[in-house]
Amino acid sequence: MITQVDNPILEIHDLIVSYDQSPVLWNVDFSIPSGKLIGILGPNGAGKSTLTKAIMGLVTPSSGYVKVFDKTLEEVRSKISYVPQRESVDWNFPASVLDVVMMGTYGKLGLFKRPGKKEKDIALSCLDQVGMMSFVNRQISELSGGQQQRVFIARALAQEADLYLMDEPFAGVDMSTETAIFHLLKEMTAKGKSVIVVHHDIHSAMNYFDWIIMLNMHLVASGPNDQVMSEEMLRKTYGGKLNLLTKVTDLIKQKDFNPLKS
Amino acid sequence: MMTFDQNAFLIIFTASLIAISCGLLGVFMMLRKMSMTGDAISHAVLPGIVIGFFISGSQRGLEVIIGAGILGIFATLIIDWLRQKARVQLDASIGITFTLLFAVGIILINLLAYKVDLDQECVLYGEIAYLPIDLWISDSGFNFGPRITYLAILNVTLVVAFITLLFKELTLTSFDENFSSVIGIPSKGINLALMSMVSYTTVSSFEAVGAILVVALLVVPPSTAFLWTKKLMPLIRLTCGLGIFIAISGYYLAYLVDSSIAGMMVAVSGILFLASVLINGKKPKFTWELPWNKSRLALEDKQL
Repeated sequence: MITQVDNPILEIHDLIVSYDQSPVLWNVDFSIPSGKLIGILGPNGAGKSTLTKAIMGLVTPSSGYVKVFDKTLEEVRSKISYVPQRESVDWNFPASVLDVVMMGTYGKLGLFKRPGKKEKDIALSCLDQVGMMSFVNRQISELSGGQQQRVFIARALAQEADLYLMDEPFAGVDMSTETAIFHLLKEMTAKGKSVIVVHHDIHSAMNYFDWIIMLNMHLVASGPNDQVMSEEMLRKTYGGKLNLLTKVTDLIKQKDFNPLKS
Repeated sequence: MMTFDQNAFLIIFTASLIAISCGLLGVFMMLRKMSMTGDAISHAVLPGIVIGFFISGSQRGLEVIIGAGILGIFATLIIDWLRQKARVQLDASIGITFTLLFAVGIILINLLAYKVDLDQECVLYGEIAYLPIDLWISDSGFNFGPRITYLAILNVTLVVAFITLLFKELTLTSFDENFSSVIGIPSKGINLALMSMVSYTTVSSFEAVGAILVVALLVVPPSTAFLWTKKLMPLIRLTCGLGIFIAISGYYLAYLVDSSIAGMMVAVSGILFLASVLINGKKPKFTWELPWNKSRLALEDKQL
């Protein structure tokens, strides 16, 4: 079930990406509306991260194209922000929390120019939004996993973009951080920003996302949460993992039941 | 018997400048986990030196530095290509590239031996003790002073200018290369610029400390400083300080036992590194993991 939209913020057309001749993404073709919180779901190895990397131009597709705001990536770079997986960097790097968040402003600053007071103020307000004000001068090697994730999100916020792509921002973070980040993302979409999140937890996906993309090398579904979230679609995405599926079916039956909130 | 005369000053001054240039670049090579690429570059420049020498007919020509610079970038490109396109491990691609280019250099020296008066020992080991007698004399016969000192001053000026200008780009690409490409900072270009500076610094320093020991100056002082601080600016300052200390102590220890100054400098830096490991190895690195330190950190947070 694939719902195409008019005036999409992001359009992906017949995208094929392969590593070493073995394709990881096959004919992925979808478009998404603006101002929504969008989740990309799929099992391990489904190509979720590869899809975000292809959107950000970090891997070159074998065929197909990506259009953001109806333009190529190069033309709208400053309007898109990216949160890579937390494990993709070495957190022993000698930098403070403020240093890392300021990096988000470097794209607009251009070559050779030094960040000044304006950039510092942007970074501080972004740290405030993620609730990390008391860690401004802490070295990043002394942060916990959830705090590292908040720093990465603050860095993306400092880019002041319109479209945000986040690769597994909830991997290895605790429940309170997850809820806090989801609330922040909701606030962002309320302000008209679009947020795409690679996610692995079907349960929280049902509760939070407006629009869901299901991926397992092929595109399985793309559409509004209430239309896409069905047992049939999940079975197509996750294949024969029945154990998981029975659990999911139960959850769908009691859609409003959230054991962690009651 | 310690003496401090004009020659001692010149040697220590020049050695400090070389150690500072290497250390500054070495900090960023270490943060990019590319310290051994510095090793590869220092050896891979040999064919460039020989060809430059062959063209200009002198060891002092600009062609030598340009030739070495080109070969340094070439080596970096081959290493990158082997790693990304041919999917060879980084350590293997470094090993393959620099040994191959170094071998080409040795063959070239032998082939051109009748035309090129290039001392392999000088390239490999260098000799900073000859610095006061290697003078820069202009065509009109005016004596400006030791040539290598001028080379070192020019080198350190360019390295400092390079790092000051591109500080934010170098830091960002070292920390998170993907993110820098995404926001439009040319991470590949910055990387090549850094590798060119390393090639140039290696060539500029090889007459004084040799192609092998220059690697130690690139790797050891930054690694030692990183054991003491986790902040970038103090790390850079401490690396420079260590460079000066190594130059002074290396000179006097070499004087004492009548041995190679460059060799002694590297030996001192090795000992300093070992001592730092032994002292810092006892301290727990990640204090936040220990529950009894959490209260201390929480207190710090309140104070902030």
